[in-house]
Amino acid sequence: MASIAIAPARARARTSLRQWVGLLYVLPAVALVTVFFVIPLGMTAWMSLHNWPLMGEHSFIGLDNYVAILRDTRFWNALKFTFYYTVVVTIAIFAVAFPLAIFIERPRPLTNLYRTAFFMPAVVGFASASLLWSWLLNVDSGLFSPAAYDLGLTEKKINLLATFQPAFWSIIAMVVWKVAGFTMIILMTGLQSIPQDLQEAAVIDGAGPFARFRMITLPLMRRTLALALILSVAGSILAFDQFYIILRGGPRNQTLTAVYWIFNQSFVSFKLGYGAALSMVLLVILVALSLIQLWLLRKPAGLDD
Amino acid sequence: MRRNKVKTMIAKLALAAAVISGGLQAASAETANIWVRADGSNFMPRIVDAFNKAHKDQIKLDIIPNAEIIPKYGAAAAGGTAPDALSLDLIYTPSFAAAGQLEDITDWAKSLPYFASLSPAHVKTGTYKDRIYGLPFSADASVLIWNKKLFKQAGLDPEKGPTNWAEIEADAEKVNALGGDIKGFYFSGNCGGCNIFTFTPLIWASGGDILSEDGSKATLDSPQLRGAIDLYRSMVKKGLVPEGAQTDTGSNFFAAFAAGNIGISPSGAFAIGALNTQYPNVDYGITFLPGKDGGWSSFAGGDNFVVTKGTKKIEVVKEFLDFAYSLEGQTILAKYGSLPVRNDIAKEALKDLDPRYQVAAEAMAKGKTPYSVVFNDLINSANGPWTQMINEVFFGDDVDGAIKNAQDTMQSIIDQAPNK
Repeated sequence: MASIAIAPARARARTSLRQWVGLLYVLPAVALVTVFFVIPLGMTAWMSLHNWPLMGEHSFIGLDNYVAILRDTRFWNALKFTFYYTVVVTIAIFAVAFPLAIFIERPRPLTNLYRTAFFMPAVVGFASASLLWSWLLNVDSGLFSPAAYDLGLTEKKINLLATFQPAFWSIIAMVVWKVAGFTMIILMTGLQSIPQDLQEAAVIDGAGPFARFRMITLPLMRRTLALALILSVAGSILAFDQFYIILRGGPRNQTLTAVYWIFNQSFVSFKLGYGAALSMVLLVILVALSLIQLWLLRKPAGLDD
Repeated sequence: MRRNKVKTMIAKLALAAAVISGGLQAASAETANIWVRADGSNFMPRIVDAFNKAHKDQIKLDIIPNAEIIPKYGAAAAGGTAPDALSLDLIYTPSFAAAGQLEDITDWAKSLPYFASLSPAHVKTGTYKDRIYGLPFSADASVLIWNKKLFKQAGLDPEKGPTNWAEIEADAEKVNALGGDIKGFYFSGNCGGCNIFTFTPLIWASGGDILSEDGSKATLDSPQLRGAIDLYRSMVKKGLVPEGAQTDTGSNFFAAFAAGNIGISPSGAFAIGALNTQYPNVDYGITFLPGKDGGWSSFAGGDNFVVTKGTKKIEVVKEFLDFAYSLEGQTILAKYGSLPVRNDIAKEALKDLDPRYQVAAEAMAKGKTPYSVVFNDLINSANGPWTQMINEVFFGDDVDGAIKNAQDTMQSIIDQAPNK
């Protein structure tokens, strides 16, 4: 009896030691997350309950900031525009990245050159890329408008950034140029992980290329797609640099994103507390969206991968 | 040999003692830290150098990018590391004072013998609830500049700038007719700060205003504003203005004229120094920003000098400011790009400089500055109601709707301001 009782206790002691060692290993990561994520997040939540100007005294006001957000139509408009941008840009990125991924997946002459060329813009920072495109899009000294004019395509130099549609699509083009290479690499790894024999079996069964893509490639890439989608959506909802640097939220404030509005409230109107509250709202929205995407792309029951 | 060693030792000791006592002496002198925005990066280091050479107390200067100085100062103040004083865009003085961030320097200011001749626009924005929190430091006035070479080519008198709105448009049209890359007129059509500086004087000179005297009412619905808008719209419609103006957020405010193919452009006194040093080939004239039928006005801009509340170095700061107000200080300022802020010695400080400064100095002396604790929200913000309105009214279709929208938004921002 006694010996039976002792054995599990020893095992437990061993387990708990292993757990302590494990904790030791993750401690640096925990410390990093605590210092750079948990504490700032707590601080943001705390500030969001205050009237906290950039300068001067702050005072506790409970949920007043959140009540104010409900009436802040310009924030909701900014959020609406952010969603619109997110949907458009995500579709555009996938529409470009997927064909590219299929193109560079299999080894063929110059594959490495293509891979590098397509991936190149992804290593440029968003701010630098925005500055570059800000120049490319300049009507007087840039590239596109003067080139179109000199080639005789347009009667006069057209200011691409002056009205909403060309300005918005210019940004989309810039973001696709910048991000598609990265998405392409993610999708490529997904494509490469699909066993070749499945495709071959399907060919023997008489499936055409489209059927193979829909019935084999897409389902087996679910996890990769989920990753690429969440990265793209989260990145787009947090968009700021390109609209700030190239458009300044213009033309006529039609391209103010949610983060841009938070920035304005915090550092133009000096309302840090209100900016913090807006950030919390955006965080909740972003978490909810990510959960929805994970749920949509979850593994259907009975499928094994 | 041995004696020699002793000698060297004694010498070394003496040297050490001298160093220590010297060090102590230096420690008894104080060093105050001052910030300035990048706009002042030309004259500020010169005047600080001159001060440091002549005084025991020292100034340590930090130059901060224009767009970052406000948030950076706010963060530093919250963390207790704010500079002892800073040279602050004067329009921010009311909001800083309202936030309780600044030292009340009323008594000291009024004790200055030349207080009455300090730039009135600066002192007005430096005053909050009848107490003085900021005093003038650097100054810039808006003026109209024209390109003499292009005027000559267009058959206009190169020595005579436009004196009313009709002349601005007629002259711009003549220059524009030269064709090619040459355009008649330039303004930054998507920059609130540029246009409060150069566009509102057209309205003021015609008897209108965009804000009430105390900043409590937006007054955009006036025939003078409407008239000035029509002037700009007409020039845009006639193609006298380059396409890029519509989206220029201020980066081309000076550069467009400096390139030498713009006939007329509203600008600032800073352009004199910048053109003379960087673009010596551009031959230009300076005149006042006129009203519809003559008369003139100017935006008195620049920096106020403000002291951080609770600083222990206030005596050093006062010493420095006193030096800046001396003839020597004012001359250094004028030479390196700021107008003098003491009207009683302005002429003397400017006497050896480009005579065109005199026009700017006169504009400064009678210049006007709007007063508001929410100036940034109303005017300077790239997404504020003023910036949005000017872009819509100059280039859009619905002028009345844009004015009305801006009027309502500005009034609601004023009404919601925390410290009115």
